[in-house]
Amino acid sequence: MIGAGFAELLAAAQDGDEEAFTQLWLDANSALLRYLWVTAPEAAEDIAADTWVYAIRGLPRFRGDEAAWRAWLFTTARRRTVDQARRRSRLADVPIQDLPASRLPAVADPADVALEHISTRAVIALLARLPPLQAEVILLRVVAGLDTEAVARLVRRSPGAVRVAAHRGLRKLAQILTEAGVTL
Amino acid sequence: MTGRRVSGGDMPNFSRRTGQDASGIPDPAFAALLAAGTPPADPSAPMQHVADALAALRAAPASDEAAGKTAALAQFRQHVGVSSHPIRSRRRRPTLLSPLLSAKAAAVAAVAVVGLGGVATAAFANALPSAAQKFAHDTIGAPSPHASRNAHPGDNANAGHSGTPVGPNASGPAAFGLCTAYSNATQHGTAAQKAVAFRNLEKAAGGAANVASFCASVTHPGASATPGSGAPTSHPTGEPTSHPTGAPTSHPTGAPTSLPTGPPSNG
Repeated sequence: MIGAGFAELLAAAQDGDEEAFTQLWLDANSALLRYLWVTAPEAAEDIAADTWVYAIRGLPRFRGDEAAWRAWLFTTARRRTVDQARRRSRLADVPIQDLPASRLPAVADPADVALEHISTRAVIALLARLPPLQAEVILLRVVAGLDTEAVARLVRRSPGAVRVAAHRGLRKLAQILTEAGVTL
Repeated sequence: MTGRRVSGGDMPNFSRRTGQDASGIPDPAFAALLAAGTPPADPSAPMQHVADALAALRAAPASDEAAGKTAALAQFRQHVGVSSHPIRSRRRRPTLLSPLLSAKAAAVAAVAVVGLGGVATAAFANALPSAAQKFAHDTIGAPSPHASRNAHPGDNANAGHSGTPVGPNASGPAAFGLCTAYSNATQHGTAAQKAVAFRNLEKAAGGAANVASFCASVTHPGASATPGSGAPTSHPTGEPTSHPTGAPTSHPTGAPTSLPTGPPSNG
């Protein structure tokens, strides 16, 4: 998240300032990718690029703060993800336990995760082991920086359901990490 | 910790469903972590794991996350960049003022277009009084009053045609647009005031001081109760220079009035 300087950066980018746009892009693109690596691992980069094509066209007319900006980008990315999933008719939401082992991300052996220098990609791989809604809600809260209400609108669930999914997901994450024998 | 075992568990694990007992972390702690990213002052080990994991998710962009930058910048240049928005590219201007100024400029342009719109149609039909037609010729490229019709020299008596640019008849239909432009120029412009049209407006009003009262009496051309003043004194001659293209929007209805005679030929 950019924070206090966001309004100024946005105005400059809307004015054609490439440096300002690059900052907006770097900040939001990494967030988009972290989200998409979990929700659309096979097409994350493509969907991120598609999202920017749409966002850049709408940029001059965009009005709002950083939360609105992030919500707009992630709504677009999510829509693209759903379209993509329909096209590929991928596996529907099934509990992680029911997935064949070959479908699981390769990296995610929790024992490999060194907590002192825990890497972003390692956590993403762990999140991919959670039920899809839990993983998505955590990513939208933490990576996209959206509040519970915005996430609820985005995933079309109630704020209560979003809260429950996030807490369950985090609890499971804690459990996975603890059970992996990583102790502090 | 008696949670899920990594391998060989033949019993389903129900502890995750009941929640809290699996990690010992209460919901409010998760809520705080999600919202602010700050773990409690004295976190349990599982809580610390989660806090570290979320911190990693929030980490600064990594180099491999910038792969699409070139393509995005190319897109940006095409749609938002300086080349396509030359007026908006001047960054020295205070950021807040720019939308206001653009809006104002757009409003002035809109008024000019509205003021001229109806007139322009008539101008291209070469159907305006000569002085106005002359103005239209000079400003929007409509035919000159002398070009394609038999001119009546008397119509042009007030134009003072002497090779120098001449403004519109400020008491005619263009007065509304001129008044709008003039009031804007007196507030915001300097060079624009030197335009011929403004001098003519001053002249028509009897001095700059009278422009306000003069313009107050000018009505919007579209709202005028007495549009125009009599029929045009001449009519266009010659063939139209353009022809309609595309299919007609209406089609004949009813049966044909005559019927074919004789059998169709077998092709």
